[in-house]
Amino acid sequence: MIDTTHLSVAYPGRAPVVRDLTLHVDAGERLLLLGPSGSGKSTLLRLLAGVVPQLVDADVTGQALVAGHDATTTEPAALARHVGTLTQNPADQLCLPTVEEEVAFPLENRAWPPERISPAVERALARVGAAHLRHRRTAELSGGEGQRVALAATLVADPGLLLLDEPTALLDPAAARTVGRLLAPAGGAQVLVEHRLDEHLDLPGRTGVLDEDGRLVADGPTREVLHDQAGLLSALGVRLPGAPPTLRRTPRPAATGSVLRVRGLGVRRGGRDVLTGVDLDVRPGRVTAVVGLNGSGKSTLLLALAGLLPHEGTVDGGSVGLVFQQPEQQFLARTASDEVAWGPRRAKVPDAERVAREALASVHLTPLADADPFRLSGGQQRRLSVAAAAVCGHDVLLADEPTFGQDGRTGAALAALLRSLADEGHGVVVVTHDLTLVADLVDDLVVLGHGRVLAQGPAADLLSPAHDGPLHAAGLVAPGARAGQPS
Amino acid sequence: MSAHSPAAPRFGRALEHDSVLHRRNPTVKLLVLLAVSSVLLVPVDIATPSLVGLALVPAAVAAGRLPMRTLVTTCAAFAPFACSLLAVNAVTREGEVVAQVAGLEVTRTGLVVGASLAVRTLVVGALAVVFTTTTDGPRLMTSLHQHARLPARVTYAILAGYRVLEGLPDAWTTIRRAQAVRDPTRRRGAPLPRDPASLGRAAFALLVGALRQGERLATTLQLRGLGSGPRTVHRPVRLGPADAVLVLVTLGVCALVVAATSRAGWLLTWSTLG
Repeated sequence: MIDTTHLSVAYPGRAPVVRDLTLHVDAGERLLLLGPSGSGKSTLLRLLAGVVPQLVDADVTGQALVAGHDATTTEPAALARHVGTLTQNPADQLCLPTVEEEVAFPLENRAWPPERISPAVERALARVGAAHLRHRRTAELSGGEGQRVALAATLVADPGLLLLDEPTALLDPAAARTVGRLLAPAGGAQVLVEHRLDEHLDLPGRTGVLDEDGRLVADGPTREVLHDQAGLLSALGVRLPGAPPTLRRTPRPAATGSVLRVRGLGVRRGGRDVLTGVDLDVRPGRVTAVVGLNGSGKSTLLLALAGLLPHEGTVDGGSVGLVFQQPEQQFLARTASDEVAWGPRRAKVPDAERVAREALASVHLTPLADADPFRLSGGQQRRLSVAAAAVCGHDVLLADEPTFGQDGRTGAALAALLRSLADEGHGVVVVTHDLTLVADLVDDLVVLGHGRVLAQGPAADLLSPAHDGPLHAAGLVAPGARAGQPS
Repeated sequence: MSAHSPAAPRFGRALEHDSVLHRRNPTVKLLVLLAVSSVLLVPVDIATPSLVGLALVPAAVAAGRLPMRTLVTTCAAFAPFACSLLAVNAVTREGEVVAQVAGLEVTRTGLVVGASLAVRTLVVGALAVVFTTTTDGPRLMTSLHQHARLPARVTYAILAGYRVLEGLPDAWTTIRRAQAVRDPTRRRGAPLPRDPASLGRAAFALLVGALRQGERLATTLQLRGLGSGPRTVHRPVRLGPADAVLVLVTLGVCALVVAATSRAGWLLTWSTLG
């Protein structure tokens, strides 16, 4: 199904992202691709779909055959007869106003007779458990529903090859498990790029590892690669599946006082209560995580804490900074260094430039100081936006999914940055789906469900097996799974 | 079914009830609307557009079962433009001076032409409101592809663009908040900044986001096989005898009115204007 020979890909003016790749994937074979961010995993998938170099310019040498067609010269629309692609964001994959039109669209493009389209749409939706969504509007779907509809549109024409680029990355744990569970039985040859391996019950039998230079450094049965190459994977910053998050060994002493005191917080939006009766103390020197499924009110809570939403109840305390979920929506300047210096300059901090330089270095962005923030990769943008908020010296820093799109190494750099803010006496609140981050970084945990606080307290208590209740109740941990292990 | 009031029009979507006009072919409705507005380009007297309006607007509103409140509120959007047409024409046309207002000469010809253009604006505006509230955007695109031979690449690009537009209001609010909170001197609960520089930066981020999403949607359209050869249409839009009736009745009414005003000597055109 896939045959590449000495394949190298370089974007104009940059070092190659894929180097000398020779890879063979049989019909029906499933392959998991691991590697740090920037190792060319997504580029490889885009090349196999015909997007690179035909829609996105790149220099390609070597050969890439997909279902017998040269992927570098066959139009993506023609390759689509054999290839289905699923990426992480439903907003980029749902092009039409209604679910039915969306799923029928690939069949119309293959000139299926209209009378056969309707039953095929029904089957495809049923396969992903989305039959009830058939007449919904795509704009009104939740992230998990949207991703299932996108999967249905990918599967509807039974492609021989499925390219899956972090299909669960944007989903909450419950939705990620649902989508993860659907992929293995989807059929066809598959290439899966994924960081959240724990959400996939049935991992592909074969695993390939790309290093940071885009070379294939390991390839073999998944069990052997994960076992034999554990040292290599860890050196590359790849998180291993099945490794349960373990708690930090040194719990911080409980701090007294609070930098932000929240009492009876309630928010109504669009005629319904999104948050009700939230009491919360953000303590100096401690990192608080807010966890909960999508729609539980996490992001609304951050907006209210930052004073950006009208609310009931009181929020008293010091100044508050907020890192939004999508970095691009927060950028104000034309270079990365100006972006980080923005806040300090505005606050008339002496030596804002030096502060900015140091902050860029702490998130591994020094070489990109002059780059346009909008042109950075998603993971780089995330680090830039956290750094830009961290330098402002707010009493409390709030961050929505601060480690999204990071590999092990850059994720750790961000966690270290947040930890150092807390150690300097600031309060830090993160909203996250990343329970590993919670276990590594977080002192206090707030579990939200349906706009109410289901549980709060020291993370060590709430993550211990004896107290898994709230995480299970919130749907954050699969029934039977353990959220963490005592250290 | 929906939390929205049934009479609240939403961009690109027909009102949720059914009506005779809802069931007509979208391309035919669009062509009829264009034909009526083209016919109304000719007369500059008050009687012709008024009579066309009196005949067609109530009929269209009834056939589309359009709530009067929706018609009035949406047509109110055209009123300022209509008034400005009247005002500008009243004081800029040559002719018999009937009044002096603030040092400007108001002429009889100016009043007639201005009133005619104002009525035309309101009539075409009302018909356009009936069209948009009884026509589903995506069905219009399918129909334009089927019946007007518009290439699928164009119609689906428009539909993908519609998806981007649908998301813009929420994106704008998020960006304004996201950027406001970057200001370390901002006080809790302070209103979002409204200076031109702030709005400009927010507009830039909105534009970049919309363009990127548009690009990604365009890629998805191709990855789903758009443009790979001949295609079929899952739910074709019907074109039937009732659509022919709509054309005949509407254009017939226009022809009758023009014939009547011409016979009565009321019809004025740009060329017969003194």
